[in-house]
Amino acid sequence: MATIVEGSLRDKITMRMTPYVLLFPAIAIVAGVLGYAVVRGIIMSFFQIEVWEAEEPFVGLANYRTLFRSPGFQNSLLISLIFVGATIVIGLLMSLVHALVLNQIAFARSVFRAIALIPYLVSGVAAAVMWRFLFTGDAAIATQISAALGGSTVSWLADPDKALMVITMANVWFIAPFATLILLGGLQTIDPEMYAAAEIDGAGSWQKFVHITIPSIVPMLSLALMWLSFASFNMFDIILPLTGGGPGRSTEVLAVYMYQLAFRDLNYSTGAAVMIVILIINIALSAIFLRAAGRSRDDR
Amino acid sequence: MTDNSSINRPLGTRVVAWGVLLLITLWAVLPILWSLSASFKTPLTLYTGGFLPDDPTFDNYRRVLTSDGFPNYMMNSLFLALVSTAITLFVSVLAAYGFARYAFRWRHILLLFILIPRILPRASLIIPLYDLVESLNLLDTYTVLIITYTATAVPMATWILIGFFQAVPKELEEAAAIDGASIWQRIWKVVVPISLPGMVTAGILSLREAWNEFPFVLAFTTSSDMRTLPYQLFLMRDSMGITDWPLINAFTITTIVPILFLYLLFERQIVNGLTSGAVK
Repeated sequence: MATIVEGSLRDKITMRMTPYVLLFPAIAIVAGVLGYAVVRGIIMSFFQIEVWEAEEPFVGLANYRTLFRSPGFQNSLLISLIFVGATIVIGLLMSLVHALVLNQIAFARSVFRAIALIPYLVSGVAAAVMWRFLFTGDAAIATQISAALGGSTVSWLADPDKALMVITMANVWFIAPFATLILLGGLQTIDPEMYAAAEIDGAGSWQKFVHITIPSIVPMLSLALMWLSFASFNMFDIILPLTGGGPGRSTEVLAVYMYQLAFRDLNYSTGAAVMIVILIINIALSAIFLRAAGRSRDDR
Repeated sequence: MTDNSSINRPLGTRVVAWGVLLLITLWAVLPILWSLSASFKTPLTLYTGGFLPDDPTFDNYRRVLTSDGFPNYMMNSLFLALVSTAITLFVSVLAAYGFARYAFRWRHILLLFILIPRILPRASLIIPLYDLVESLNLLDTYTVLIITYTATAVPMATWILIGFFQAVPKELEEAAAIDGASIWQRIWKVVVPISLPGMVTAGILSLREAWNEFPFVLAFTTSSDMRTLPYQLFLMRDSMGITDWPLINAFTITTIVPILFLYLLFERQIVNGLTSGAVK
């Protein structure tokens, strides 16, 4: 009798412990690297860390005050907002249209679907280099086309406004395909009978689109928005190889500004403060999107 | 499922849909095709002949493949991608099984460790991590890259696998348990083989992450022995003097071909795996 109780107790403990044991390696490595980085980043941003000085005095919010007053930061924040805003608008429209037409066609659909995701597989550096090739120099294809159309013959990457347009286009090219995939997944879950019923009621294409298609994919739309805004807000891989933040500081988004601050100017504590600003904006964005989506769909 | 609806659409709508689709598809492949085309040209013929080079040459590829350091960069990329993916899959299978099969007290809190990393930008982690890596004397080592690549790949892989594991019927496992299979055997002999499409998806996405990774290798390595393909490409793109675009394009194409090949091989699994993961 006693042994049975003991056995079942041991079984119970084993049962209880099992999920934690299974989860331990994953949580340990994620918390150990990513969790550590976040906590350490927060701490760093409150201290004055100089490479050549042993002392690291606590300075409270001084790094943040310096940051918000610095023209470089204000410039980067503005550039980031333009870059993210333009990417979201163009990227969402493009991926929605792309997903809709992919969902429409019957012939060779899987081929076009496969091609659609290709930019997502290319590395950011490779994408940046390919886009650089399209736009660098007097002989670049883009410069030639613009010259043939009677436009400027100046290289696009040497012009601040055009350089910002180029990184935005490259970014849309790079990240919109994944949004297309998310939206296509949503479109495929819509029951065709809903359209059939609407047709019986005499609904036109536009009405079906507005009253059936869009409402059915609201969660996927907000997921796609989330992807586009996070991916572009944190974009680094495309911009550093494509323009290096230039010409001047015209394409220096926050992530690039942060990298330059820390690894070129060796100003780690202010760099860490930029990191925290980026994180806070990310958290705020996700809160907004999750609320907009109506409910959190994380765990079903 | 929705295919039927497209058949009885008016011709005009279908023509417009096809036109738009071809246009967007062209946009997606054009930069790659342009780069591919240039990789078969010489600096002199770079801007002539349009997409089809007049006198295609393989010389650029020969120069890439025989250049100093290339075998080294290739091996670094391959080694890091394979090792970090193997560890990622192992760790993620266990975690995903835990999340998929057990209800336990801290489940929701722990699930956040899988979800929150998605909004942690890689580039922003390098400042605080650099400090730690330096003090542990791990700069310029494979160890730091493998650990960081694994840490950033585990959340996505776990998330994908949870969905697949939940779809495995519990009865199969119960039958195996009656036959005396331990939990370890049930995971690796029952659940994982059935979830092979999920494993392929998670595996290729982890490979992609590591193969394409840039900020960590940029920040945590300085020696040329440690360079990966993307890092070398980054350095090549801005060499002093006249840029040898045909060579750079050949290098670009060489770095993206392996992952594109894998993707096209398993495209159906990956797209379905990602879609079901995203829709959930």
